[in-house]
Amino acid sequence: MSLTDKQAIRDLDHISLQIISRQLSAESLTWLKAKAEMVKSEGKSFQLNMAFAHLPRFSSKADINIEPEENKAVAQLLHGFKITDWTLDRLCRVWLLMQVPADDQDVYFKKINGLFTASEMNEQVALYSALPLFHYPEIWVSRCEEGIRSNIGTVLEAIMYHNPYPAAFLAEGAWNQLVLKAFFTEKDVNLIVGLYERLNKALANTLEDYVQERLAAHRTILPEIYKLIEQTKEKI
Amino acid sequence: MCCNDNFQERNEGEKIQTILDLNDISGMKFFDPHVHMTSRTTDDYQAMADAGIVALIEPAFWLGQPRTGVDSFTDYYSSLIGWERFRSSQFGIKHYCTIGLNSREANNEKLAEQVMEILPQFIFKEGVVGIGEIGFDDQTAAEEKYYRLQLDLALEAGLPVQIHTPHRDKKKGTQRSMDIAIEQGLAPHMVIVDHNNEETVKEVLDRGFWAAFTIYPFTKMGNERMVEVVKQYGSERVMINSAADWGISDPLAVPKTAALMKKSGISLKDIELVTYRNAITAFAQSGQIDEHDFVTVKNIDQSQKFESNSILRGGQQPRINKNSIIIS
Repeated sequence: MSLTDKQAIRDLDHISLQIISRQLSAESLTWLKAKAEMVKSEGKSFQLNMAFAHLPRFSSKADINIEPEENKAVAQLLHGFKITDWTLDRLCRVWLLMQVPADDQDVYFKKINGLFTASEMNEQVALYSALPLFHYPEIWVSRCEEGIRSNIGTVLEAIMYHNPYPAAFLAEGAWNQLVLKAFFTEKDVNLIVGLYERLNKALANTLEDYVQERLAAHRTILPEIYKLIEQTKEKI
Repeated sequence: MCCNDNFQERNEGEKIQTILDLNDISGMKFFDPHVHMTSRTTDDYQAMADAGIVALIEPAFWLGQPRTGVDSFTDYYSSLIGWERFRSSQFGIKHYCTIGLNSREANNEKLAEQVMEILPQFIFKEGVVGIGEIGFDDQTAAEEKYYRLQLDLALEAGLPVQIHTPHRDKKKGTQRSMDIAIEQGLAPHMVIVDHNNEETVKEVLDRGFWAAFTIYPFTKMGNERMVEVVKQYGSERVMINSAADWGISDPLAVPKTAALMKKSGISLKDIELVTYRNAITAFAQSGQIDEHDFVTVKNIDQSQKFESNSILRGGQQPRINKNSIIIS
């Protein structure tokens, strides 16, 4: 199972590079493209690790300027995926990740996983944002679950917001954790891809308990929680 | 009476209730270039932000007990660029770090070799402003070996070095640290020599290095002594830090010392250099410090957007009233 086909990935690569080319200085763009070539050809991860860390020094962290038709194209190519609010370093990093050769699954996993292991906050944001674009999507399930355990707000948002990977690949238990964690950390659950499609009895039960717990503690309850519980009842 | 068995009585006698008055320095900005936030609480972050600290550097050091495997180092370095940076941003303080193998653990050579292998993975990360804190503790051969190797790494990476000078045999240890840095080809302006005192400062400054002072009760500098140092040596290439860690230390050492300097008649310009500007100038040689980030730290390192969502989601940690017995 895959979220999208190879052609769509190529198209997303193209759109990303189009945005990047528009905003990067000539010098930075040359640097990035040269690094991408090295990443494509190297057997080890040296260039990938270095370029991935170095990237913001060349890209800046400015917001991306995305054209409306590009936004539309992204949404068509990968349902639920949205990069409108991304920064330039995030997009460049994700684009770089798309250049990692994937012929050998083990090598591919080792390279990407190595980046996760030594990642700082903003790198984590880029890595988790790229989940729906990674090859061999099944092998990233436990990494995604690990990310949901993060306490870093931006990392959680990279997994939760406009990211079609979790809904497509997480088992029910992990999915429910994602939704609960979103409520507990006061995220905007309306930005979670697949929230209503993946409603289930277990989640609704836990949410009902959560409502009781909040009531007992004299705390407020988000209207979305009631909505989810209602919709589950209608659905099942 | 020396040995009071009556704890209740003793504790009552010791209880001091005063309110810290930092009005003299209100509105000033501070930079603490050496503080181990990993061992501090959120109360400290809150107090630091309130006192005007806008940015800090957390040097990698040992954790109070020796690590037994390289993965512990990986996790520690990761936490400095990850979780701790996030925690700091929640209080609006920009967090930088220096990465290195500390002198004590350099003595475990088998482990030190492995740590040297992982260091290149971390030193180029965003917000890593130097190699540190490295240098001498016991001044053993192993310490010297890994000190030199890390100086080579700093030179290659174009990063400043934050040197920990030893407690014991300090004067000679400091001289030797500088000699070795020069031998390895580092320019003095790329080296911040830390934990100076009245005995070491002259030579450090004369040789063109940055002289950092740690205001740390009992074991290092007191800030009244620091005021005298600034009066005598001026503010050029001088900076102060708290080096606050798990010991009895003070994360407000920098603003408190600024207040004391002001009371003691030191000019605002000199205070600014010693408590803010010099540290930035020294560590910005890494290319990793952008002062705009001090203002936008909340926007950059936290949620990207505040407007569309609840303040809690992206904003700062909610403030609790410490003087209320109610915890809600």
